[in-house]
Amino acid sequence: MRGLPVAAALIVVALCAVPLVVHDEYFLHLFIVSGVFVIAVLGLDLIVGYVGQLSLAHAAFFAMGAYTSALLFVRLKWSMWAGLPAAALLVGLIALVLGSVILRTRGHRFIIITVVFAELMKLVATNWVDMTRGFMGLPGLAVPPLWIPGIGTIDITAKSHFYYVVLFAAIVAFLLCRALVRSSVGHKFVLVRENEPLAESLGISAFRYSMIAFVVGAALAAAAGSLYAHYVGFVSPDLFNFSYVTIMLIMVILGGKGTLVGPALGAVIFTFLPELLREASHWRMIVFATILIVATLFMPKGIIFPLITHLVPRNWRLRNARAA
Amino acid sequence: MPALLEGRGIAVRFGGVAALKGVDLSVDPGEVLSVIGPNGAGKTTLFNVITGRVRPTQGSVLYRAQPIDKLAPFRIAQLGVVRTFQKTEVFGALPLVEGVAAGALARNDPDPAERAREALATVGLYGKAHLTAAQLSYGDQRLLEIAQALAADPKVLLLDEPASGMNHQESRRIVDLIVQLRARGLAVILVEHNMHVVMTISDRVIVINYGEKIADGKPDHVRNDARVIEAYLGAPQAAHAVAR
Ligand SMILES: Nc1ncnc2c1ncn2[C@@H]1O[C@H](COP(=O)(O)OP(=O)(O)OP(=O)(O)O)[C@@H](O)[C@H]1O
Ligand SMILES: [Mg+2]
Repeated sequence: MRGLPVAAALIVVALCAVPLVVHDEYFLHLFIVSGVFVIAVLGLDLIVGYVGQLSLAHAAFFAMGAYTSALLFVRLKWSMWAGLPAAALLVGLIALVLGSVILRTRGHRFIIITVVFAELMKLVATNWVDMTRGFMGLPGLAVPPLWIPGIGTIDITAKSHFYYVVLFAAIVAFLLCRALVRSSVGHKFVLVRENEPLAESLGISAFRYSMIAFVVGAALAAAAGSLYAHYVGFVSPDLFNFSYVTIMLIMVILGGKGTLVGPALGAVIFTFLPELLREASHWRMIVFATILIVATLFMPKGIIFPLITHLVPRNWRLRNARAA
Repeated sequence: MPALLEGRGIAVRFGGVAALKGVDLSVDPGEVLSVIGPNGAGKTTLFNVITGRVRPTQGSVLYRAQPIDKLAPFRIAQLGVVRTFQKTEVFGALPLVEGVAAGALARNDPDPAERAREALATVGLYGKAHLTAAQLSYGDQRLLEIAQALAADPKVLLLDEPASGMNHQESRRIVDLIVQLRARGLAVILVEHNMHVVMTISDRVIVINYGEKIADGKPDHVRNDARVIEAYLGAPQAAHAVAR
């Protein structure tokens, strides 16, 4: 038990050291992208892993966050520091409205409506040309300088600098989600997931707690989308492609849904792995989709989290028993 | 004084099937009301109406003189009207304390785990608190269901065949438990096929047949009611049990 905070501190130190060790721009890029995915996927774990609803709208929330932030930058000259919270807030609100309709449904209906919603949002991004420039997308997004009290203004456009922004955001997102799932709210998430009619019969509103997970998850996806948009400097309707939600689900499900740590590791591994397997890029989605289906059917706890817990000493495991 | 819980003229139709046809009932604190009747009579449907899972086609349910038949199930539970299910419902994968804490969490109790342990102690499962629900025997799972309901701090507790499938010794534990809960001032509504259990602990019994209430009164009175005996004629064992 006491080893856990030490291990966490070591991991954070190691993550902070990455830009000092890794000078290859391409690998730094992969670290930054995995950090962005960590944030989005933690949000997805709340809804898929903790309350147990398979949402296929998550990548759309990510893309909507990217677009919101990009539009605020292009049209109103808002910097990312204002655009990111605004994107999280707006997309959170949209999730609230969407959720008030679809969280009353369950199972296949819920899944289908989330797909339809995502496709609809893609159509908006594509066809509202006056606002979004359609297929041409919105280029020219910039990373703003960072002002730290006592230190002054720092230019963070370099990858080795922007990495720390993403790392910080990912750690904040992780701590936020962890506090949520360990609170009484998170306990109710799990009760709803384990037996919804029973939880309702004992006084827990499945609707309310699914909604909390859905909205917080959407806001996190939007924040991740905003970071991503400013980092790559460009948004286009491609962000709404179905492959994004597939890869996010792979990260959550193979990582070990309902554990936070598993999906976060999944985000890193499944950002690097496909890039390292570039040769086979044509086969990538097919291979991954197959892995996803097999894992869903035969490995309900995923691969990564169970693997880690087997490698970790037994007395450390107990702490995470509840989360699993 | 109005009853703690009252059902007035409850009628339910499922398409062409009239599951309940204008059933009245009432129960007060410290009282055990049993609801009996042949299979398919409408007993579980009555529970579903009282707990908000099924909307009555006609009639109303009043709790402390306020209508509750338009409320969501979780609201009704929060008010203190809590049920168990005919088919065992537990949080299988979770440790007992975490599942039983549900009802205490739902009413924002400051120490849900402690309430859960108290409820487990009441039903005699404290010693097994480290197990998960799925690891318990069937009989213990049925006791666990009662603990789950108790942690929600019910004023009215509805038990749907809590002793079904239990051996004699296990059903004795259920009887003792119900007697203990009644002594605490709970109103208990019990659906039970085991006539020995019903006749031992009920203060009042209502009999439903094809959705219709055909008798209402003290156990002795109901046992000798001609219509009740007739209703059970299709099921000789039950008729025998009632007449006994
Ligand atoms: N959701 C439903 N939809 C359609 N018909 C239903 C539904 N629920 C119950 N019924 C019907 O209503 C009638 C009463 O069923 P109910 O389950 O209330 O009986 P019961 O008295 O609890 O029987 P048992 O002793 O077998 O548990 C039955 O004919 C049943 O088939
Ligand atoms: Mg029944």
